[in-house]
Amino acid sequence: MPGGSSDSLKRRLLAGAVDDNVRAIRNQPRRRLYRRAPFPWLLAAAGAALVAAAALVVVALRSGAPAPAESGAASVATSAPAPEGLPAFVSAPPARVSGRVFPLAVRRIAIDPGHGGGDQGTRTSSGLREKDLTLDLARRLAARLAAAGFEPRLTRDSDQRMLLADRARFANDAGADLFVSIHLNWIEDGRANRGIETFYLGPSDDPEATQLASFENRESGYSLADVRRLLDSIYADLRQEQSRAFALAVQKRLLAAVRAVAPEVRDRGIKSAPFLVLVATDMPAVLAEVACLSNDEEARLLGRDDYRDRIAGALFDGIAAYSRSVAQAEPGSGSDKGVR
Amino acid sequence: MSAKEKVLSVGIDLGTSQSAISTSAGAHHVVDSYVGWPVDMVARKVMKKPVVIGAEALENRTMLDLHRPLEQGLIKEGSEKDLAAVREILSHLIELATEGNRETRTRAVVGVPAETMRVNKQQLRQIMRGMVDSLIIVSEPFAVAYGIEALLHTMIIDVGAGTTDFCVMKGRYPTEEDQRTLTKAGDSVDDLLAKLIDERHPEVQFSIHMVRGWKEQYGFVGEPAKRALVTAPVHGKAQKVDITDAVRAACESLLAPFTETMLDLLAAVEPEYQEKVRQNVMLSGRGSRIHGLAEELEKALVDLGGGKVRLVDDPVFAGANGSLAIALDADEDDWEKVSA
Ligand SMILES: Nc1ncnc2c1ncn2[C@@H]1O[C@H](COP(=O)(O)OP(=O)(O)OP(=O)(O)O)[C@@H](O)[C@H]1O
Ligand SMILES: [Mg+2]
Ligand SMILES: [Zn+2]
Repeated sequence: MPGGSSDSLKRRLLAGAVDDNVRAIRNQPRRRLYRRAPFPWLLAAAGAALVAAAALVVVALRSGAPAPAESGAASVATSAPAPEGLPAFVSAPPARVSGRVFPLAVRRIAIDPGHGGGDQGTRTSSGLREKDLTLDLARRLAARLAAAGFEPRLTRDSDQRMLLADRARFANDAGADLFVSIHLNWIEDGRANRGIETFYLGPSDDPEATQLASFENRESGYSLADVRRLLDSIYADLRQEQSRAFALAVQKRLLAAVRAVAPEVRDRGIKSAPFLVLVATDMPAVLAEVACLSNDEEARLLGRDDYRDRIAGALFDGIAAYSRSVAQAEPGSGSDKGVR
Repeated sequence: MSAKEKVLSVGIDLGTSQSAISTSAGAHHVVDSYVGWPVDMVARKVMKKPVVIGAEALENRTMLDLHRPLEQGLIKEGSEKDLAAVREILSHLIELATEGNRETRTRAVVGVPAETMRVNKQQLRQIMRGMVDSLIIVSEPFAVAYGIEALLHTMIIDVGAGTTDFCVMKGRYPTEEDQRTLTKAGDSVDDLLAKLIDERHPEVQFSIHMVRGWKEQYGFVGEPAKRALVTAPVHGKAQKVDITDAVRAACESLLAPFTETMLDLLAAVEPEYQEKVRQNVMLSGRGSRIHGLAEELEKALVDLGGGKVRLVDDPVFAGANGSLAIALDADEDDWEKVSA
């Protein structure tokens, strides 16, 4: 019941502000908005996303289909009908696909060099920029893939700013079978600031992963309502499973290749996180943090051709290994597509 | 307030593009949120100081490792340099405000972009430890609302550089549900405008800083009041170029996401109060100074029964003044709980 004098209202607001700060001091998260959830997985994704991106704030649900998160938030509107309202770059919520037909084989690979243009990504004091390195690595990877009979497609092939929405749309429109987004990490952790990690689509309760996702999601170009719809549409658990397998293959090869030069590099493992570029793509997708600019030695190595070549080679091996495993699991579907 | 000790209350608006401070002693200061460190010995000699803040940093950027630490409303990915830059901005503001007067106790309320609230609150507390005696962090639109006493049944839309923050005041301290953040704001308009000028006038040379200046001078939505005739180098010679259409298209890119978010938030207001909120939409932030913005947003409200969108009086200090109002209203008990 909002009412009473302006003074008592001010008092109440102030108390709320102080309370919020006290909670932060005690390091307690703010109360979650949603509690009861029939689909805890999606809810976790929405929760993580809430903390995550500038774009990721829960929007009044406009989708006609009842979505799980709704049950907890009574005052959220459910008016407008959904599908025709979907922006062009969001493909309709994927229907569940049978594992027998999805994907048939791996041929076309979307490679996404992170950042670009005014968005530099991370940067070392010596001037190495993430956006340049990712493009260099992407080109090297593309050359290898092309030589092996795959069809690489770069989301950007110049120093150009590109919204995550456009990157995802590009991959979807290109009919890519796999999507790999290349990034360089920055880990603020004393001597442990050097490691490799590969992400695939999914929820996360790892605050670090969430923070990273939030950083990478900044350039999304999605409106909040879009994000909400996207989150609602990621029931594609099959794709998640495949993305996970893909992430494993990539992480394993990356780690092996880099440790051959620098044994001390840490295996930060594969992790799921709500990166928008993974949410919005239609195919199995991973985001690889292939090296760490926060580590001086690593940054020095990244300045060298042969080291970047090594990383590109590892990414290639991961893609090739994953596509082989898919071809084996789908007898008769891979061999006729020229995939080895 | 105890008699023996002097207390200075300060309200700070920490922004992507500008940061401002207002104090109980009546001081007001504003700085551009840029921090630069001289890159080498020569630069250090020229600059005559170890760190340069504000417009001066921007002017001398060729000699500096220049940081704009809050891009997109977030302190960047745990980068030490950006944290240090935020620290420099805050301590600079507080120094300006206290004029080196060390005897006073300082109590600060800092308004930050909603995204920073979500992700960087702890870091901010750490940064300000030792700088002030007590600290309350609030979201920027809340500070604005408090300052103009728009406490109940109002909507604040704070159009900044990195983000646009929406907040509905429902007589409680705003929850996640009452707030939204879009990355469609001043910077995104600049980027789009640069792209459009590049497409339509490829012969024109310009920098993003020039583009921002043009937007600030000519920015409008709806019908143009005057042509945007700017002077820019073409093949090394200054020429007049008409960029009216590009300016309009870039500025109007805000309309759809703003309208959608406004309507989403309205739909979550209890029906009996929706009319009141519609009549009390307030635009703050310097980005809201795009001509015709309030009128166009009002048009979007017509279908819902009409509404009123107004501009706050002082967009530069609305946030800082609001934070100061909170600081002045908080009592000893409150401050006790949030000592830094
Ligand atoms: N007269 C004007 N017309 C249009 N835009 C303007 C005008 N003056 C400044 N701006 C734009 O307003 C933005 C800065 O607004 P403001 O100072 O409120 O942001 P901020 O608080 O620093 O950012 P944020 O809230 O995102 O942290 C910039 O994009 C700037 O170009
Ligand atoms: Mg602001
Ligand atoms: Zn990145």
